[in-house]
Amino acid sequence: MSGRITSSDRLRRILAIVPWVAERDGPSVDEISARFAIDRADLLDDLDVVFMVGIPPYTPDTLIDVVVDDDRVWIHLGDYFRRPLRLTPAEGLGLLAAGEAVRAAPGEDAGGSLARGLEKLADALGVRVGNDGELDVSLGDAPPATIELLREASRSGHQVELDYYSYGRDTHAVRVVDPYRVYAQQGNWYLLGWCHRANDERVFRLDRIQTATRLESAFDRPESLPDAAVFAAHEGDLVVTLRLEPEARWVVEHYPVVDSKIGPDGSITATLSVSAVPWLARLLVTLGPSAEVIDVQGGGAATDDIDGLAAATAKRILARYRS
Amino acid sequence: MKLERLLNVTAALLETRRPLTADEIRRRIPGYPERDDAFRRAFERDKDDLREMGIPLEVVIVDGTDPPISGYVIPPDRYYLSDPGLDPDELAALQMAAVMIRLGDSDTDEGLDAVRKLGGREEGVGGPAEAEVASLPRPEHLSTLFEAVTSRRAAQFRYGGIDRVVDPYRLDFHKGRWYLTAHDSGRDAERRFRLDRFEGRVTVGEPDAFERPSHVPGVTLDAWELGEGEPVEARLLIDADQVAPARAQLPADTAWEERPDGSVVATIGVVNVDAFRSFVLAFLDHAEVLGPPALRDAMVGWLEAVEAS
Repeated sequence: MSGRITSSDRLRRILAIVPWVAERDGPSVDEISARFAIDRADLLDDLDVVFMVGIPPYTPDTLIDVVVDDDRVWIHLGDYFRRPLRLTPAEGLGLLAAGEAVRAAPGEDAGGSLARGLEKLADALGVRVGNDGELDVSLGDAPPATIELLREASRSGHQVELDYYSYGRDTHAVRVVDPYRVYAQQGNWYLLGWCHRANDERVFRLDRIQTATRLESAFDRPESLPDAAVFAAHEGDLVVTLRLEPEARWVVEHYPVVDSKIGPDGSITATLSVSAVPWLARLLVTLGPSAEVIDVQGGGAATDDIDGLAAATAKRILARYRS
Repeated sequence: MKLERLLNVTAALLETRRPLTADEIRRRIPGYPERDDAFRRAFERDKDDLREMGIPLEVVIVDGTDPPISGYVIPPDRYYLSDPGLDPDELAALQMAAVMIRLGDSDTDEGLDAVRKLGGREEGVGGPAEAEVASLPRPEHLSTLFEAVTSRRAAQFRYGGIDRVVDPYRLDFHKGRWYLTAHDSGRDAERRFRLDRFEGRVTVGEPDAFERPSHVPGVTLDAWELGEGEPVEARLLIDADQVAPARAQLPADTAWEERPDGSVVATIGVVNVDAFRSFVLAFLDHAEVLGPPALRDAMVGWLEAVEAS
């Protein structure tokens, strides 16, 4: 936890803790702290406040009665605060969206408990979930069999062999990978793992895996996993500055840019870190007249490849149409 | 001190049988400043704080007052959680889902807060970091619009440089973005709005303001299917090594014709030609538009222009 805890945050927490404790026969301080993810000291501070709360005229019989004894806590109170505060829209949405995303993911709800729970919860909140309802969450398209195989291999600690198409480099390769974690981000599924071909951590997009096979060999998961960024700039990357027409604004929203600014005529000057030339070639040929390379830095010899890159790529694709 | 006051105001307004006026609240509840203007400011802030937390603080006219005086009350049936009656296995499954999927990336995790209120597991509610499968973005107005959808409140906002009044029907998270589908009253038509493109604030009206149609289609279309007009049946040849990613991207009902060398010809309904061209060019020279001639010529024309630049 970081950041400043406001009165509202504490109020919200207290209104959840009070009914829970009141319903039980003296839970321990540690049990309450663990359950509500709160420090022991903060919990005791909160209980000190509750001690002074009640309804007018605030005589002893109308105040909340808090007893902390032998590390256990008892709360007695009137009719108010007996039950938790209703779910806020953010809470209801948070839980429904999570439930619906998982329900729609392959291999996660074998027993149907989630689907049943989700339906009850949605009902209580006055909506329906799923494609025919009012809230639909789709994490992204990837072959369900691939997601399931990789999640299973990651859980059981087995290596996998991937036939993978590298989009950035436009090449295919077979590699053995230790599957650390499978996750979805921005509408796509990814695998974060140790690639034994590159001898480094790599992120793979699941829909670019041609075939995935679970191997018998086990792997050791590292103590802590790195933050799973889809794209991380490396030293030696080219730094390319593009001038984009307003209709190509999606480039800035879609890719991590080092810097971007909008000119008075609505055109955008965007600087991107490029780790593989074919990736840039694809972007330029797609953008056509709405993009222009205005500067290239770093990357050594690769810099020379950028001049005329769009034209050369177009020529290569046209060869198919001309043959 | 402020915390204590907020708790006392909440308890008093939950318990009261009739609305309490601001003056009564000031006299009965300890902790408010003495001076009039200081009291007003403190009380306004308290009201904002309570409402922001989701406490249903209502303002009503006190019976028999003339001129009318506003009173405050928290209706218990709107304050307390209505129990959805979850079985333990259902609650456990929802809890696991909340661990796997996080909404927003801040310190607070509302999905898990909800699980706690619903009486989740006895031990600490949480899980190992690698159990997290996705963190969904939470654009600024998402919760407000969700509430407007569930309570059927009209919403007002600015989008695409136009002030809109809409009946919000549904929310979709699709390809990494949130969308609102709503009936736009000014245009008298259904429209789709990207939440990250809203301009400025969203205000909502009273609940139960409209009837939802029985079925509102969600966001499932791909970019090249959007737009006005009849779709053209495009035939796209895709090389064998690109078939897997192409299948993941194209709609499930796409017609596929497999060739002996492992390549495929996909038949795709295209409305938006520009979006289709971008989709095809992402395959570089591993795909080729076979027909119809107009679409193939357009592709060749585009590439020749780039080649000549």
